[in-house]
Amino acid sequence: MAVLQKKSMSFSFMGLLAASCLLLIALWAQEAVGLPISSHCKLDVSDFQRPYFTNRTFRLAEEASLADNNTDVRLIGDELFQGVNRNNRCYLMKQVLNFTLAEVLIPQSDRFQPYMQQVVPFLTKLSNQLSLCQISGNGQRIQKNVQTLKETVKQLGESGEIKAIGELNLLFMHLRNYCV
Amino acid sequence: MQKIHETLLLLTTVVITVMSNAVLLATLGIQPTHGSLKPQKVQFQSRNFHNILRWQPGSSLTTNGSVYFVQYKMYGQREWKNKTDCWGTTALFCDLTNETLELYEPYYGRVMTAWAGSYSAWSRTPRFTPWWETKLDPPVVTTVQVNASLLVLLRAPELPYRNQNGKNTSMENYYDLVYRVFITDNSLQKEQKAYEGTQKTVQIESLTPRSGYCIVAEIYQPMLDKKSPRSEQRCVQIP
Repeated sequence: MAVLQKKSMSFSFMGLLAASCLLLIALWAQEAVGLPISSHCKLDVSDFQRPYFTNRTFRLAEEASLADNNTDVRLIGDELFQGVNRNNRCYLMKQVLNFTLAEVLIPQSDRFQPYMQQVVPFLTKLSNQLSLCQISGNGQRIQKNVQTLKETVKQLGESGEIKAIGELNLLFMHLRNYCV
Repeated sequence: MQKIHETLLLLTTVVITVMSNAVLLATLGIQPTHGSLKPQKVQFQSRNFHNILRWQPGSSLTTNGSVYFVQYKMYGQREWKNKTDCWGTTALFCDLTNETLELYEPYYGRVMTAWAGSYSAWSRTPRFTPWWETKLDPPVVTTVQVNASLLVLLRAPELPYRNQNGKNTSMENYYDLVYRVFITDNSLQKEQKAYEGTQKTVQIESLTPRSGYCIVAEIYQPMLDKKSPRSEQRCVQIP
């Protein structure tokens, strides 16, 4: 360590670069996907090209929206994205997806069959694919916007959960829009 | 004979009941309840993103003379907006294409009626998302014959005019459209798929001379697994 510190700045930088290159190559060789962190916020376009799941997701949303008579309040809309730049919107949608799965779909999983049992595994898969998705910098604004969504759902109680299910088509389209 | 008598008796009873109800309503000056005035089956019908709101008169309205009032909004907005073109209309439809131009957005429409000085409650559509619900027309097919081959030109239905960005966007911007072309050899009366893909120009080669062929096409939306109706046939005679 002491030896390293004595060396010139550029030399240690070069060393670091070489070391990281080696590390990357090693990771690559092990097929451990040594990609930059931000690219974990990515879903494959093919996830959104399977009509079966697209149809089921939209039908489930349609069914639930029929039971949602509150036309004034919307969870996934302009407010949710306000102040969040495009690069971070996939991460934002990941937060919404995880909340929807854990706090809405799982508790309501007995309802809206058979669509529910077809859509939940699909969304769970997307959630798993985004498990490493992080953002660089602080995500205060994102947390605030997601918190607002969560509170709205909680405030509306059961009808908030129905509302969230009724917006699964919007969740789907925004995941496609921002993560692909 | 017994049967006929019974039926007649039943009919008479029904007629008397209906008439006495009418008399009762007339003498008491009772208006039909708001519930029965309320327009029914209010829904969007959407073709190529031309979004038309349609409805039926309330159950108590057998006569004409009622007028309708239409409002719309995007899901999540607090205020309903009046559709001035359909404010006091006697028609049973209202074109809301220009009010529902954001194809991925969910919208609502609602209709109220006034009849003989009485207003009904609002009847609202289900949530309507044009991208999901619109039905695509078949492609327009043009054929150009070059010796023993056939050039098939396909055109997707036109989108409604969109002036908010002034751009000419095509259907392909919103769906991954796939064109399917079918060819029928008239002498064999057998249809075959000649092409499936995204190209809008398809060349069908080495057709048999002195034979007749007919071409039809359809549009397939892989993302939704939906297909359009079939186009009109285009028939040619190879010299």
